[in-house]
Amino acid sequence: MFAAVPSATLIGVDGLTVRVEVHVTTGLPQFSIVGLPDASCREAKDRVRAAFSSSGLAWPQKRVTVNLAPTGQRKIGSGLDLPIAVATLVAAGQLPAEAVTDCGFIGELGLDGSVRRVDGTVALAAAIGAGAVVVGRDAAAEAAVVGRPRVLAASSLRQVVAALRGDDGWSPVPALPAPSRPAGEGDLCDVRGQPLGRLALEVAAAGGHHLLLVGPPGAGKTMLARRLPGLLPDLGPDDAFEVTRIHSAAGLRLPAGVMVTRPPFRAPHHTASTVSLVGGGTARMRPGEISCAHRGVLFLDELAEFPADVLDTLRQPLEEGRVLVCRARAAVSFPARFLLVAATNPCPCGGDGSPGGCRCSEASRTRYAARVSGPLLDRFDLRVGVERPDVTDLIAPAGARPPGESTSTVAGRVARARQQAADRGVASNAEIPAARLDDLAPLSPSGRRLLEVRLRQGRLSARGLHRVRRVARTLADLQGGPGPIDEEAVHAALALRAEPFTFEVVAS
Amino acid sequence: MTASATGSGGWRLAQGAYAGALAALPGMGPATLCALLERGAPADIWDSVRRGEIVRPPARGSSGGAGPRLSWAAAAAGAPLERWWDAWQRRGIGVTWPADPRYPRRLLSDPEPPGVLFWRGDLGRLESRCVAVVGTRRCSPDGRASAYDLGRDLAGAGVCVVSGLALGIDGAAHLGALDAPGAPSGTGSTVGVAASGVDVAYPARHAALWERVAAAGAVVSETPPGRPAQAWRFPARNRVIAGLVDMVVVVESHVTGGSLITADKAIDRGVEVRVVPGPVHAPFAAGSNQLLYDGPGPVRDAADVLDALGLVDHRPRRSGRRRPAPVARPEQLRLDPARPAPPPSAGGPAPPQSCSDDPPSSPPPPSVGPELRSPRPLGRPDGPHGEVLEAVGWRPTSLGRIVERAGRPVGSVGRILEELAAQGLFTEDRGWWQRTAGGGGRRE
Repeated sequence: MFAAVPSATLIGVDGLTVRVEVHVTTGLPQFSIVGLPDASCREAKDRVRAAFSSSGLAWPQKRVTVNLAPTGQRKIGSGLDLPIAVATLVAAGQLPAEAVTDCGFIGELGLDGSVRRVDGTVALAAAIGAGAVVVGRDAAAEAAVVGRPRVLAASSLRQVVAALRGDDGWSPVPALPAPSRPAGEGDLCDVRGQPLGRLALEVAAAGGHHLLLVGPPGAGKTMLARRLPGLLPDLGPDDAFEVTRIHSAAGLRLPAGVMVTRPPFRAPHHTASTVSLVGGGTARMRPGEISCAHRGVLFLDELAEFPADVLDTLRQPLEEGRVLVCRARAAVSFPARFLLVAATNPCPCGGDGSPGGCRCSEASRTRYAARVSGPLLDRFDLRVGVERPDVTDLIAPAGARPPGESTSTVAGRVARARQQAADRGVASNAEIPAARLDDLAPLSPSGRRLLEVRLRQGRLSARGLHRVRRVARTLADLQGGPGPIDEEAVHAALALRAEPFTFEVVAS
Repeated sequence: MTASATGSGGWRLAQGAYAGALAALPGMGPATLCALLERGAPADIWDSVRRGEIVRPPARGSSGGAGPRLSWAAAAAGAPLERWWDAWQRRGIGVTWPADPRYPRRLLSDPEPPGVLFWRGDLGRLESRCVAVVGTRRCSPDGRASAYDLGRDLAGAGVCVVSGLALGIDGAAHLGALDAPGAPSGTGSTVGVAASGVDVAYPARHAALWERVAAAGAVVSETPPGRPAQAWRFPARNRVIAGLVDMVVVVESHVTGGSLITADKAIDRGVEVRVVPGPVHAPFAAGSNQLLYDGPGPVRDAADVLDALGLVDHRPRRSGRRRPAPVARPEQLRLDPARPAPPPSAGGPAPPQSCSDDPPSSPPPPSVGPELRSPRPLGRPDGPHGEVLEAVGWRPTSLGRIVERAGRPVGSVGRILEELAAQGLFTEDRGWWQRTAGGGGRRE
């Protein structure tokens, strides 16, 4: 007897429809899975048999062959347990074939017969072409965000069989709570002082400019960076779905409302490997941190401590917004359009980098600076020094100074500035092509003169010029003034592009 | 004579070759070398060493030590003396020792003199008036400017500026001396005392500076040519600096700075020490300020140094001469508190007592001194410019702090800073701003 049910497997962050075919025939009792299953998939054999017996179902004492089509693609993961079990039941005649028409199955089976969630449920459910999909109860909400196949939830194999036979109902799909702001974001009004850092955050959020914070330990670089996602607007429905799909595939904890509506914030430690950052892997192609930070913020603390080869892999995704990870068996494209925020000390000793204020030798400072490659440094439109706050400021009672602007105030300005960029026809000011700068970011005569002087002095490179003009565009948008960009915006853009590392260049 | 110092060619080299070769023997230090050279002509001593009559003294405080020690006889037998001497002469490297007439006179009475001194350039510069300008490698822009000005103005006044060729203060002092206007040779007199061989530029990026110093003055070293500096050579070099000069001026020093060793050695030798005061909270001036507190007097610029040396500074100073001639010292001027301070003369009508029809030889009117001493006849600008000026300190200040203190938008602060910097009120060093006392024209 033969039966087939649709299911799906994960390739990168995309689902691939898999037809699970089971053939039960007379012969010596045997159970084999063919069609390029990976290790976790092959283990399905033992899980399915145990689940059968725990659920009070009879395992057919016949020759059972499972084929996973298309057979050319490697199948990954334990999500095929449930479709294998159901197709076996149908093929063995324990379930009527009509019960499973137009119904897909995704789920891992426990030895006790329970049905569990698998990573990537969003992408898997989206790949199911059938009108309904059966998933574990803990994955029901996740599968439901796709919206298209009707989600049928069950907590155990026994319940699946009963519901398919019509003896029992499906578990209800939990209603999603309204999306809410995550608690951990922190408000910008907690930050004392740091006028340059605050401005840089605002500009980064408004214009999509990558940001490098330079300062001694304890200056508040991380505190600032963590407040950046709060300034970004909510994700649009398409972006939110894409980010949710990625996070689901990466096995990240999804928010209570399942749909990721706030820009994500990812902060990998500097021991991160290239694969963990960019994506890939041997058993299964997993999205890397840069994809988990898609449409959000990737924060690299202690930038200079990251291995140089790991950092340099970021350069191409930074330009293209996605990364193509190629392996012998497959090439997977991961979305990776993120805002890069990095923090570093100005030198290894942890001083504040002021002239004469550190213990490092010139040689060690030069070495430290060389750890971040020039091309990567060049991607940062904004490079800002962050200083330890004044002691008096820190211990002053909370009310002594008027608090700084709150996140919501700044986020309002950011949203307006982003709207202006969108009206201009660019996704963000950071992406204005150089050829259109004169058109989209015209300079006032005084602003032009200032840049000319800097260029002649050799304090600004041609590439730096474009980046300064884009930042100045964002600054002008934030101020809301129409017309060409004035001199003060250019001055501010120049001030936000400090040299990150200081080391002596001898003029002899 | 076959195994004597005549070498295989059968001709004797100049005595300097033997003196230099003795300095290059393994484990040779200044004290041993001095004692050795007191025995007679270097060539004869070399012969004795080769013949094994003078043996290497046992290592102090160790029995056996680590690894085999090369004996002097073996080292001397293998030394390619003629090749060395040829190479030294080709590169213009001279050798002098205490019995040599060219040996710097000041070192003859030194308690720890160098046994042998290698040099490039003109050793005669050390017989003139010499002042050491020393300080930290990790200095502030202001310290660098001070050292540069001291070097330039002292060399311009005919004083030979001695320093250690290091990064930071030392290099700035040499550069200043090289840029001195009006010096006889078109460039000021300066001598660099190196810890490595005179042909081994350390730090490497000062190679061009070494060449310029050797051309304009001299580079001297106790270390044989071709050898890098070992750690002990640096404090030893500092004692040579102290022994070569009439005065040591410390510009900036951390608490563990080598320039404090130079100052200590100078005090041991009865050489006067002066300190350029630095900001009290700055780590780069902590050592020099401590030294200042311990006794040596302060100096602000070359005029103070020349005054302290007893040289009347009668050379025309660069624009903005800030103090009266040494005869009218500021402390004497301040003895008359009854006299009201005149209004600032800049811009306004000149007060009658400072009319320009005074004969140029007469001392300036006493009341002018303190006024001209003020950092700058500012007439502090009003409005935003004044606020920004206030917000920048005399210490290196970051832009973020300035914006915070001034309470103005970043762009406006940036514009005002640039305008004020163009007037020479600030220096900027890689994002750190600092007020300066003088006008522009300072070279970084």
